[in-house]
Amino acid sequence: MRTDDAQAAFVDRLDRHRRILVKVAGAYCRDEADREDLIAEIVAQLWRAYGRFEERSAFSTWMYRIAVNVAISFHRTKMRTAKAVEPAEPAILEMLPAPAEALSDDALTLVREIIEGLDELNRALMLLYLDDYSYAEIATILGISETNVATKVGRIKQRLKRDIAAQNEL
Amino acid sequence: MELEELKALWKQNNRKLEASTRLNALLFAQWNLRKADTSLKRFARGITFELILNLIGIGALGWFAADHAGEPKFFIPAAILDLYAIALVIAGARQLFELRSLDYDEPVVAIQSRLQRLRLARIRATMCTLLFAPLMWVPLLIVASRWLFGIDIYAAASPAWLAANAILGLAVIPLAIALAKTYGSRLERGTPMRFLADEIAGRSLTAALDDLAAIRRFAEEG
Repeated sequence: MRTDDAQAAFVDRLDRHRRILVKVAGAYCRDEADREDLIAEIVAQLWRAYGRFEERSAFSTWMYRIAVNVAISFHRTKMRTAKAVEPAEPAILEMLPAPAEALSDDALTLVREIIEGLDELNRALMLLYLDDYSYAEIATILGISETNVATKVGRIKQRLKRDIAAQNEL
Repeated sequence: MELEELKALWKQNNRKLEASTRLNALLFAQWNLRKADTSLKRFARGITFELILNLIGIGALGWFAADHAGEPKFFIPAAILDLYAIALVIAGARQLFELRSLDYDEPVVAIQSRLQRLRLARIRATMCTLLFAPLMWVPLLIVASRWLFGIDIYAAASPAWLAANAILGLAVIPLAIALAKTYGSRLERGTPMRFLADEIAGRSLTAALDDLAAIRRFAEEG
């Protein structure tokens, strides 16, 4: 396949799964400029690895694994430097007007707060869990056992209950 | 609210994201993906640059040492500096090799552990460089003054002066650590000075070790 064809195929697949980029970037960066930087970094790493993608797993699973790996590294570096920078490139994902069926801000804020309250690795686990990946798939992407995934999901559920109970008491 | 309810909310949010974003076609048409810069590439460039400088240093010092093989007073300081530069090259080459073999298409825990070990190696190498540098001051003075100006520092300066410089080099190490520990955290984060202070004070090392321990805990059962 010519490079141009490969790039066109890559961009097409990327477009079909673009929400993975937004979700992962949103889970690891609050600042808009950082999110755009992170998305550009993820796309560059995806393209770098694309030549080795062998279709043994779904494209979305492969994309998730790379996106999460890049996002965790990016987040750790950002935490150390704590400097917001202007994005080097124009935004890869353009925002369009929100559709009529929009999620209420309260609900979205709650989901975001829960995700942001987790450490980087549990955040990745939560993203995958919310996206309906099976325990086996989550285990493969993260590189831990299925039992471990189940235990961690159980803990997050308990923590969620505690947090909501605490919120209700206030 | 249960986690299952959150899942439903999340799916709703996914549909919203799908509908409210699109790839920037113009950017992709103009963007040369093959040349796209990444943080790993930038990191590798930094290490490569250091490697090249150190290799030049090794070559130059080797040439100087060979030229003064019959004069131990010049040969020994040059050999010490050369060994120092060789140690830096070995450390840099190992980091570069590790970096080049990184593939983000591997399980998250494995990649994050490797990245943290790489960070640890980098921090340790920087700490060694910064802390040993003051000790290299006297050999560097001897070699540089001979090489650049043709001056024999043993003849130009008294042994007491040279000994005082060596002691000063030794004293700088605990002083730098104490200053970095006491005042380093007051410097603005993200600046080169803060970076140096954190490395010298061992704060970067502690943070990297904590991060690695957190990854191990995550990977452990139960």
